[in-house]
Amino acid sequence: MTIPLAHYLIFSGILFSIGLAGVLIRKNILVVFMCLEMMLSAANISLVAFSRAQGTNGIPVYDAQVLSLFIVAIAAAEVSIGLALIVAMFRATRSVDSTSLNTLKD
Amino acid sequence: MFESAICQIIFYVFAVLAIACAVGVIAFRNPVASAMNMALCFGFTAAVLFGMGAQFMGIVQLIVYAGAILVLFLFVVMMLDVKEEERFCKLPLFIGLMVASVFAGMVVYVSINLPGVQDITCPFARLCDNIGALAVTDTPAATACVQAPSALGGYLPELNSTAANLAANPGMTPESAAAATGYPDVKLLGKTLFTQYNIAFVILSFALLAGTVGAVALARKIRKD
Amino acid sequence: MNMIQNLPWLFLVLPLLVAAIDWLCFSKCPKTAATLSTLSAAATFGLCIAYLSGLQTGIPGVYVWMPTASAALDLHLGLITDDLAMRMMLVVTGIGLLVHIFSIGYMKGDSSNLSRYFAGLSIFMFSMSTIVLADNLAMTFIGWEMVGFSSYLLIGHWFHKASAADAAKKAFITNRVGDFGFLLGILLTIGVFGTLTFADMGNVSGTAVAPALLTAMVICLFCGAIGKSAQFPLHVWLPDAMEGPTPVSALIHAATMVAAGVYMMVRLQVSMGTEIFTETACLVISTVGAITAVMAAIIATQQDDIKRVLAYSTLSQLGYMVMAVGLLAGEAAMFHLYTHAWFKALLFLGAGAIIVCCHHEQDIWKMGGLAKRMPLTVLCFLMGTFALIAVPGFSGFFSKEAILDAAIVNHPTFFWIGAGVAAITTFYMTRLCLVAFLGSARDHGAEHATEAGPTMVLPLLLLAVMAIISGYGFMADKLVPAEGFTAPGFHFGFTFYVSLGALVLGLAAAIVVYGWGKRERDPLAGNFISKALRNRLYIDAIYDKLVIGGIQECGARIIEFIDFVVIRGLLVQGISWLVGRFGVLLSWLQCGSLRAYSCITGLGLLIIIIIIAL
Repeated sequence: MTIPLAHYLIFSGILFSIGLAGVLIRKNILVVFMCLEMMLSAANISLVAFSRAQGTNGIPVYDAQVLSLFIVAIAAAEVSIGLALIVAMFRATRSVDSTSLNTLKD
Repeated sequence: MFESAICQIIFYVFAVLAIACAVGVIAFRNPVASAMNMALCFGFTAAVLFGMGAQFMGIVQLIVYAGAILVLFLFVVMMLDVKEEERFCKLPLFIGLMVASVFAGMVVYVSINLPGVQDITCPFARLCDNIGALAVTDTPAATACVQAPSALGGYLPELNSTAANLAANPGMTPESAAAATGYPDVKLLGKTLFTQYNIAFVILSFALLAGTVGAVALARKIRKD
Repeated sequence: MNMIQNLPWLFLVLPLLVAAIDWLCFSKCPKTAATLSTLSAAATFGLCIAYLSGLQTGIPGVYVWMPTASAALDLHLGLITDDLAMRMMLVVTGIGLLVHIFSIGYMKGDSSNLSRYFAGLSIFMFSMSTIVLADNLAMTFIGWEMVGFSSYLLIGHWFHKASAADAAKKAFITNRVGDFGFLLGILLTIGVFGTLTFADMGNVSGTAVAPALLTAMVICLFCGAIGKSAQFPLHVWLPDAMEGPTPVSALIHAATMVAAGVYMMVRLQVSMGTEIFTETACLVISTVGAITAVMAAIIATQQDDIKRVLAYSTLSQLGYMVMAVGLLAGEAAMFHLYTHAWFKALLFLGAGAIIVCCHHEQDIWKMGGLAKRMPLTVLCFLMGTFALIAVPGFSGFFSKEAILDAAIVNHPTFFWIGAGVAAITTFYMTRLCLVAFLGSARDHGAEHATEAGPTMVLPLLLLAVMAIISGYGFMADKLVPAEGFTAPGFHFGFTFYVSLGALVLGLAAAIVVYGWGKRERDPLAGNFISKALRNRLYIDAIYDKLVIGGIQECGARIIEFIDFVVIRGLLVQGISWLVGRFGVLLSWLQCGSLRAYSCITGLGLLIIIIIIAL
């Protein structure tokens, strides 16, 4: 009994889509940011699945896993910067509502 | 056989749970609830990674995402103390769900029709199958594998102990041999990372450093004088 | 190729070279420029004399300028050196030389750039020679335009004077109108004859062609002559051209340039054959000539400016010549052209001398008593006048007789018109002489008038001699620009008595009206006829109002449309409006909502995936 690669990809795609939906429908910028992280981790899953699927004799192709490791690291850096931005934004506007970020429009 | 069944259960159960938690992230109006759901989601995702045999990635998922990042989120949520409960407007909700579901449909469609889709077996089972088959049918070949590692793939030296264990004890099943020596996932990943991708790794560490410095610079209070 | 064969090219090359040298090298040194120009005129004159006294150099070389598929239509530059051309050249270079000499005296002390003036004279000589010597219509046309250009330069010599600049422009533009017809005529000529070379036209019989086409061709070519020879209705530029220096008026507007039209028509008659000139075409040509002759003569009776009187008399005499062309009496036309060139140059130069001596006073009613103060000049002027009013024995008499003779044979109506014009001519010329020369000075300028200097009097004397003798057989037979011409001499027929009657009538009328120089004001002035005549029968005004005003108004409308609707409306405001609207449309995208942006990003992602995956 094996699991087809497609199932992993579908899982990762659905997770990614949910993250995308969150980014699109949520107003709270913190939650939007969480959803972004979720999308990144969904991408990680598909990468690891590919690494497994492309391997020979049960030995995965580790290049893909290294790539996903990098994604995790970048995500960490991104979170630190992003949260700092959110804090700065909150200081400026006393709000974390993304719809209030429209000063450039006027 | 047993391990592969466990693999399937691990995957399907935790996948469904992870998706449910992800839905929870965007469905709860309270950011704290969203954050907790995300923690769960990351945990379940880590379980799926474990199921694929990517133990190190699973650990990283747990430590970095569920641990560090999420704690950071919770910390900020608490610090900012966002009390307002946001309302979902109908139009953005509709549009967002439409885009996301079309996207999901696309991904599913593409995944199903992906050329050369291979089955992914539980890594334990696959490994054991390979080495076991060798050992049972052709003991000299299995022994030769020990001497000439490239016959079973580029990372075979890391499996030496398993193969040697198997070769030394003809009565041993491959499963038990593998269980006795352990699967060297971290070893193999670390080897790739610190040989082939060493420079990228170093550069990445600079990116992290820059992120840290940037976060400090952005979040500090600007003195007005 | 033999060098000596190409000697006639000197007629063209020399003046052109001198013009270039004058303008490029000696623009700061007017004396050298004047000397060079005069020498070149003298050289061409001498060359002309040499040819007429029998110098043979063979056929000059032909230069193919623009080769075409068919050799007959090649645009080539070649010279024609038959009697018609060479004798015409004598008139051109002879009068040109005298005008050059006269100009040295006349322009002395003029503050304008004299090098430019003499360069203009030389380039005029070049262009005029091109017309005369051209062996094909295309080259004639080139000379035609060059003449227009050089007359523009010379009329507008005192361009700082607004009237001179306007007159130059008027001459140039009016000529363009005629040139347009001329160009059409040239194209029709290609259609009818298949060639533009005069020598080849005789080989092709034009009788097979539809008469209507021939008529159209001749009338179109005649349009060029209407412009250049200042015939009605394009005569308006000539009187205004008197704004140029008087020697220029003598050169261009009496002797040479205005004669170009007549010369061209006669050249066509000679080379195409008179049968090409259909009855209708001839009638049109004669009528135009007759109208011009009558109208100009009538207008001249009420002009006060001495140069304008002469200008209108030129118009009138040109009308005679054109009439003769229309009567298929090319020889008579050329005869009159030839005599007219001498005595009209004399009259103009005489008028120039009078104007200079009266301190640039041109109004005859401010002159008076000049006969006592500058007798030599006045005497010469009188000789010219006698020739013009056809006193028997003077050159003008013979040529006018020739035209009237031709008219009475072909078309008696034109004969009576000619006789009437002769009477009017006598009237206004006598008026001019009576008022200007007799009585006492009416103004300071005339009081202090003295005899002109030798460079002015010498040409006058020479021309006066020519005005008297040029009509007699011993000169005319050799010099009149027509093949095998023989001077008619005296013959006392019907024509003689009629023209004598006209002369006496005119003289008597003028003396009765203007007395013996005692009048202070024109007794005929003041009524509405006089007013109309002084205003040139309002033709200029009508042109100004209808044609120029209409064209300007039309042009202004078009430009306004382009400016306001196309440029301002469509291009400037339209584009800005479009950009503005587009911006408003796009600014809707810049809604400021983070979610909308991410939504668009998501859509973009979808599209990319669709493109890649499907």
